[in-house]
Amino acid sequence: MTQNLPIPLSLLQPGDQGEVVQVKAQGPIRQRLLEMGFIRGALLRVEKLAPLGDPMELVIKGYHLSLRREESVCIFVHRVA
Amino acid sequence: MPMVIALAGNPNCGKTTIFNALTGARHHVGNWPGVTVERRSGTFEHDGLQLEVVDLPGTYSLSARSEDERVAAQALASGEVDLVLNVLDASNLERNLYLSTQLMELGKPVAFVLNMMDDAEKRGIRMDLKALETLLGGPVVATVGNREEGVGELKSLLAALANGENARCRSIAVDYGHDIEGELKKLETEIQRDETLASSMPPRWLALQLLEGSPAAQTALAQSHARTAIGQQLSRSLAFLEHHLGQDGATLVAERRYGFAHGLVKEVATEAVDDRKSPTARLDAVLTNRYLGIPIFILILGLVYSVSFVLGKIPQDWIAEGFKALSTFAGDHLPTGELTSLLVDGVIPGVSAVIVFVPVIMILMGCIAFLEDTGYMARAAFIMDRLMHVMGLHGKSFIPLIMGSGCNVPAIQAARTIESRQDRLITILVTPLVSCSARLQVYIVIAGTFFTPVKAAAAIIAMHFLGLGLAVLMGRLLRSALFHGPSSPFVMELPPYRLPVLKSTLVHMWEKGSVFLSRAGTTIFAGATLVWFLSRYPGIANPEWTEEYLQQRQAVVALQLPQAETDSRLRDLELARESRIVNSSLAARMGQKVAPVLQPILDPDHRRPEAWKDVIALTAGFVAKEIVVSTMAVIHQASDEPKPGERLSPLQVSLRDRSGLTPLTALAFMIFTLIYTPCLGTVAMIRREAGSWGWAGFTIAYGLVLGWGLAWSAVTVGRWMGFA
Repeated sequence: MTQNLPIPLSLLQPGDQGEVVQVKAQGPIRQRLLEMGFIRGALLRVEKLAPLGDPMELVIKGYHLSLRREESVCIFVHRVA
Repeated sequence: MPMVIALAGNPNCGKTTIFNALTGARHHVGNWPGVTVERRSGTFEHDGLQLEVVDLPGTYSLSARSEDERVAAQALASGEVDLVLNVLDASNLERNLYLSTQLMELGKPVAFVLNMMDDAEKRGIRMDLKALETLLGGPVVATVGNREEGVGELKSLLAALANGENARCRSIAVDYGHDIEGELKKLETEIQRDETLASSMPPRWLALQLLEGSPAAQTALAQSHARTAIGQQLSRSLAFLEHHLGQDGATLVAERRYGFAHGLVKEVATEAVDDRKSPTARLDAVLTNRYLGIPIFILILGLVYSVSFVLGKIPQDWIAEGFKALSTFAGDHLPTGELTSLLVDGVIPGVSAVIVFVPVIMILMGCIAFLEDTGYMARAAFIMDRLMHVMGLHGKSFIPLIMGSGCNVPAIQAARTIESRQDRLITILVTPLVSCSARLQVYIVIAGTFFTPVKAAAAIIAMHFLGLGLAVLMGRLLRSALFHGPSSPFVMELPPYRLPVLKSTLVHMWEKGSVFLSRAGTTIFAGATLVWFLSRYPGIANPEWTEEYLQQRQAVVALQLPQAETDSRLRDLELARESRIVNSSLAARMGQKVAPVLQPILDPDHRRPEAWKDVIALTAGFVAKEIVVSTMAVIHQASDEPKPGERLSPLQVSLRDRSGLTPLTALAFMIFTLIYTPCLGTVAMIRREAGSWGWAGFTIAYGLVLGWGLAWSAVTVGRWMGFA
């Protein structure tokens, strides 16, 4: 399976792992995401979705974080098997 | 001058626990100048040396994008701080070190606290403290803050540093790699052309911030005479880096900082075991479960609500009863007159109106601190965010809104947990629309008078839904009207569950209670006294009325009737006197002036010559909404306590038969009471939490307009549908 095309983080399912390729958000949100560890090559794992389907919980840099769909569509990742 | 130590660190790193452990009870809570971010500072003594500690807001970085970050960055840049103490969560070292890379660039000595060592050990992480100290270039002390382990060592370290023994402090800089370092050098050279700018902060730090595109750095640059030269160099550097490294400045800087942190962690710490079986993971499997998450949240919410408003009502009733007894005692034993009235009807109820909030504030804030410290608050926001986001609010706005139905005052204080200033402000501004238990008392009297029991219950429930619905609507409206641009990002950490330290929770409760008394107390007290003045003068100062009243009393006593009969007649006399004073007071005159404005909603048919009396009740209700009822009793000269065996109180009978209100205008009255203005306590709290009288005034103004509009719509639609 090819891993060349990055996909938005929002497409990952609970249990999936990914590697950050790029943060496409702009402005303060971009800075915040970078500071929270969404930098090239960072590994993450989607933990679960909130009971109402949004936001998502994921693990990055060894800690747990929640992101709304609004933000997770702007983060591009490679799916990691 | 004692040495000033600034405590910096990420949220949830246990910074406040370390602060409390260092300073004990010797600390003071205030606000940072110009903003509503809490400023906690304190002192401690070690070996006869006095040291001052300032607790900075917890932040993930110093890029000054949020109010908290701006405050922290400004405080650190100021000359006031001599030493930075960076608290690190040992169980989450890499992300915590991101902030450290920035702190190390400020040109101030930095010491490190490796906190929560026990958590790290439980996750199987072992640390090489010596190596960490070498790589960070500053002394490191390992602690377990909630058990005060390592605090003694930390105190001696800080004292030694204050004495100038800083052999363990070396300045270490993150290496940003050949290309970036080259551009930093060029920028630094340009910055150094402006000596004022270069002395205000380390040039390298400013250069980095410029590369990152920080707005604060841009502001600093705009004031420099060298701004053109620096600006040109900045554009060249960014273009060069983009071309050679293929990324923008912000990404490159963040990547190198994380590179440093990642490399360091690899050197000094063993890898954590998989956390999917940790206690936190097992708890979250239940608490944020797809099916169980919401029911459990509702259960916890119900528990907090009951503890705060059911349990909290007990001491609240004692306080209210106590002050009432005091006021009755004073009234019975002091001569009738202005001063007595000031004491009995002004000062005592005023003080009571302030103190009565304290138990519920302390209990609710204690519960919220508990939820925050355990880590559940972040889960609650996680669970509710979808729903709240649709309403233009944040997941964390849910708890304040629900608590508002108990009492708006602590609910507004509870909005403190919302980090984003925008979201917090909106939550604060819409919470007063949520119908509280004080307003319930007004509905019960009015609805009970004009509706059958079933319809009355329906009307009261409808009021609560109306309040919540309006809060949601106003939230959306305010968001689009006041704050353009995207809502703040919901990038929220879900920290591991931890057992809170009882001491921290108690300190927190005490702070909230005392801050309320000192800050909001004066406003409430002043407002209550003003309302007393408006509703008693000039009648209270009329010597003839006083004389007449005293003669009537003597006449009753002279009749020598049975004790119960005498008491009852004296009470009637007292009520008559009060009624006479209030109905001729400044508030009454104001009422006659204002009545035409309210006529379309409270007297659409011009059949109520005494509609102006409503204004007096509503004015008095500004102090606290339940006072609307007791004031009506005075105005209509009818007790609000039902006689045994009767469903309606004399007040209700009088309202039904003589006030001229119809079921429809009664409903309008209820709607208006719900919205027209927040009570004084709420206004004082908005003023404190939103940081300006402007917002408090805005809340009153929009309440009046919205309340009038809705009441008018209800009357108009009701009449069109054929109701009276």
